Amino acid sequence: MNCTFTEKISALIDGELSANEARDVERHLLGCNECEQLRADFLNLRSQLTSFETSLQPAVQNRALKKILGTERRASARRLQWSFGTQALGFAALVVVAAIISLLVYQASKQPAPGQQQVAIHTSSPAPSATVEPSKPPQSSASPEPARGNEQGPASKGKEEGTPQRAPSAPVNKPLVREPKPGEQFASLPSDAVRSADAQTMTAMHFEKTETLLVAFRNVRLNEPGTAAEVGYERQRAKQLVYQNMMLRREADAAGDVQISSLLESLEPILIDIANLPDSPDQDSVRVIRERVERKNIVPLLRVNSTALARALD
Amino acid sequence: MASEEEFTMLFQDFYPSLCRFLECLLGGRAPLAQDLAQESFLQLHRTAWGTLPVGEARFWLYRVARNMAINEFRKSHTRYRLFDRVVEVMTPRSRNPEQEYEARERNAKVLEMLQSLPEDQRAALLLREQEQLSYREIGEVLNISESKVKVDIFRARASLRERWSRMSGLPKVNAVSHGNPF
Repeated sequence: MNCTFTEKISALIDGELSANEARDVERHLLGCNECEQLRADFLNLRSQLTSFETSLQPAVQNRALKKILGTERRASARRLQWSFGTQALGFAALVVVAAIISLLVYQASKQPAPGQQQVAIHTSSPAPSATVEPSKPPQSSASPEPARGNEQGPASKGKEEGTPQRAPSAPVNKPLVREPKPGEQFASLPSDAVRSADAQTMTAMHFEKTETLLVAFRNVRLNEPGTAAEVGYERQRAKQLVYQNMMLRREADAAGDVQISSLLESLEPILIDIANLPDSPDQDSVRVIRERVERKNIVPLLRVNSTALARALD
Repeated sequence: MASEEEFTMLFQDFYPSLCRFLECLLGGRAPLAQDLAQESFLQLHRTAWGTLPVGEARFWLYRVARNMAINEFRKSHTRYRLFDRVVEVMTPRSRNPEQEYEARERNAKVLEMLQSLPEDQRAALLLREQEQLSYREIGEVLNISESKVKVDIFRARASLRERWSRMSGLPKVNAVSHGNPF
């Protein structure tokens, strides 16, 4: 079909031509059978497409609406619960994040002594005040990191460089967060707003990372039956996330947050299974884990919870 | 601030349309289409409702739903779908068997034709023909220019016209040039 107007017929029946253009095309149609036939065919096609009937049932539609509104009401209740004192929480979160950064720098620079007992949070603070004075310079140590995170003014005097920060004579105001040993209890942790906000931030970030991992794992290409899948990245990432998952789950348990705790609990075996996959796993192993993720509806749950946590912290 | 009542009205008005759009886009996978439509509305309610002008919500929904459908394409073409088939078969029907058969045949033919199109052309054509969006609105939903919408829709129609004539056993129509129409 070589008529130059044919290409404008489509725009004409959509009403997307200017008045002048439309008039020209209409005039052309009076004398061009090919274009007239084309217009009739396009309109016929339109009627075919609009005759498509969705198989949606009214009951399904009503159920969907109830589910959406119900989910949102629960999320609103959570937001309301968490929105208490958000400014104070924000400030407290800032303080804790600063403490964590200091600790990480400190841990990177110093190896713990063999056999040294680890504690989750060290708060040997005789002073009743929990205020932090981060701007005070270190008194005697050449390394700035511990002083910034854990020592407060004159209290840091007498500390030896390279020794742990748990000298009994050194009062410490800011909690020192460490990685817990397996089985360690967090029940004795102070359940103040600072830790709560920090835990929420870390949990939200953890959920986002895990969601990314599971989506990547879901998209791993499975080629031919019997061939190995490439899951090196996913395994590595899962190994990193397993330990954090355990730590956050214990924190959620200690805080009595059943919802977050149960979600983390359901994540744990999946992360462990991904982390324990062999170098070149067979397709069935990958598929079994994927099906479990799908069945438990983990990815949408992670998305919902991470968004809710993030919004609560905003 | 848009209320829950307005959201319910929007849902009642557009949930069936969104399901139909997704069902056509996904090649007839009705249960999945309904799930994605529900997920789109859930996201709207959770994230954008109250900040988005109500008039924009419809386009927002189609955009999000289409992205979800694309993710589904990427995820798996084959996972479907014993469960979906079971749901389809078990779903109660209100019409008599003859009407049901005709409707199914018609739907199957439409879906078969649509599956022959590239996804972007299919989405543009469905938004135009079924949802009656303008080229500008389609461009907003699909994040493409208005002129590309024009071209995509024209090519989709031309392609379907040829296919339709083959399926109907009619004499072959003259091929329409698929060059840039404008």
